[in-house]
Amino acid sequence: MADYQLIIIGGGLSGIAAGIRSARFGLKTLLLEQHTIPGGLNSYYYRQGQMLETGLHAMTNYAQPGDKRAPLNRLFRQLKLSRKQFTTHEQYCSEIRFPDASLRFSNQPLLLEEEIRTSFPAAVDRFSRLKELVAAYDPFTPAPWRSARNFLAETLGEPLLEEMLLLPLMVYGNAEEHDMDLGQFVIMFRSIFMEGFFRPAGTIREFLSLLTNQYREFGGELRYRALVSEIVRSGDRIQGVRLAGGELISADAVLSTVGMPGTIALTGWDLPAKAYGGQMSFMETVSLVPWEVAAAIEPRRTILFYNTRPTLCYQRTDSFLDLSWGVICFPSNFVGVEAEPYAQIRNTNAANYALWKAAAPEEYRELKAAWTRAAVDNAGTVIGAYRQEVVYQDSFTPLTIERYTRKAEGAIYGSPLKIKDGTTPWPNLFIAGTDQGYLGIVGAMLSGVTVVNQHLLQ
Amino acid sequence: MTRDEIKDVILEIIEDIDEDAEFDNLDADAPLRDQLDLDSMDFLDIVMELRKRYQLQIPEDEYPELASLTSCVNYLEPKLKDA
Ligand SMILES: Cc1cc2nc3c(=O)[nH]c(=O)nc-3n(C[C@H](O)[C@H](O)[C@H](O)COP(=O)(O)OP(=O)(O)OC[C@H]3O[C@@H](n4cnc5c(N)ncnc54)[C@H](O)[C@@H]3O)c2cc1C
Repeated sequence: MADYQLIIIGGGLSGIAAGIRSARFGLKTLLLEQHTIPGGLNSYYYRQGQMLETGLHAMTNYAQPGDKRAPLNRLFRQLKLSRKQFTTHEQYCSEIRFPDASLRFSNQPLLLEEEIRTSFPAAVDRFSRLKELVAAYDPFTPAPWRSARNFLAETLGEPLLEEMLLLPLMVYGNAEEHDMDLGQFVIMFRSIFMEGFFRPAGTIREFLSLLTNQYREFGGELRYRALVSEIVRSGDRIQGVRLAGGELISADAVLSTVGMPGTIALTGWDLPAKAYGGQMSFMETVSLVPWEVAAAIEPRRTILFYNTRPTLCYQRTDSFLDLSWGVICFPSNFVGVEAEPYAQIRNTNAANYALWKAAAPEEYRELKAAWTRAAVDNAGTVIGAYRQEVVYQDSFTPLTIERYTRKAEGAIYGSPLKIKDGTTPWPNLFIAGTDQGYLGIVGAMLSGVTVVNQHLLQ
Repeated sequence: MTRDEIKDVILEIIEDIDEDAEFDNLDADAPLRDQLDLDSMDFLDIVMELRKRYQLQIPEDEYPELASLTSCVNYLEPKLKDA
């Protein structure tokens, strides 16, 4: 008999959610995470006694408790977590800002419609039609790739509006350059424009504890400092995993959440890892400023998506950072978040992994400092200068992300090719998380749940 | 188990799965799914709970037998007679 019925590699959001499902129904489950804390891409760390979140701008898919069909509430039921007892803070209002137009949106979908009525009066009926098509589309049944850009052009025929709508949807959930698959567009459109942004009360640390406690409550085992160095094959099946220290742990089935390039390397899978390398990576800078300073800039904006050009160049930049477009997030600007001495401002720009990777260590440090300054000054041109007010600052380059999470090329959204059905050539090895295809925090958790439901529980 | 006991087990499982479940106006002969606004993922949970509690294996093509409360009881009665 194998040591475990299921081994899950990776204690990120998809791995923990998958673990909750399998442990809840009695599978003997082991979750292996290389670090000493869970969360992966959306985790936390300590600097000078201060806890900082690595990711969390906002969770998507906001839904009121009681709305049973909403993806967020379905996810909570699947994880057997009480939605009623889960305190959330909704966004005030976010904004898409282009040179000649701006659109605000909130968790009330009517706001966006009213904004479009004001700025693009000729397109408002076509936008209503777009919403109907999005509501009717089934993005979960596998279908051939279809261009979201072509769909938008056919439905709206208003190029500036099309570019503006694509910005939040791409930057929060598109692994491809230039265009996105229509199914992914529909998922993102619903989760951002129809459902909306919120933050869980507290920080990502409390949210992760809620999840890991639930997993352990159901009898799941969790090992930290457990770096998997090999997925062990035996004939045409997977036998288990080997840890970096040499220990072999056997399992009836293995679920990998470490992405396709990582899974290819661990199995010796005969596939070109390069094709699964992500193209889109980002640099993120977190600045702490006195609370009043953050409250004075862009009061009541939650997330600002800006572009200095009329078209969106969603692609790997040929410079270290692309400062022409980006995201600025105010994690304190959610309804009901209590004032603290300091507030965060987070800004995100597309980055070029290869350039960062090529820099020698000393040069890398200097480049990072220089580009952090440039990114903050650039954000300052959008929201008003704040660099002088910063009391603490940290940035993550694509290299930081790759080093910490082993996501190839620091590509947050992983491979442009997704393994939507979660299967591999081995009947007892499955893929969940970023490279299965559902992205973001809610998406990663849904991915873990879905793959376990489909392949391990039935 | 008696028919009434089976019915109680089903309702208890549903209540456990869905903190918002309301049984006040439940029609035992109408589909549970529409009345309680449950989806296929919730149905899987009912099946999985039955498996966990009574080691019952319900094949996927027999899930439709669980459509209404009455059909659940009919389907489970012979399987749970000794439980
Ligand atoms: C800066 C930043 C900001 C973000 N902001 C948001 C946001 O505001 N909202 C949102 O919804 N999403 C956001 N995201 C995206 C979101 O964090 C991810 O989509 C999601 O967390 C992915 O989860 P995952 O489980 O698929 O992958 P991961 O989080 O990458 O999990 C994989 C885990 O596997 C571990 N691992 C890797 N290799 C091994 C090995 N060999 N052995 C053992 N363990 C291994 C890693 O340490 C990691 O914990 C952000 C991401 C970043 C980087």
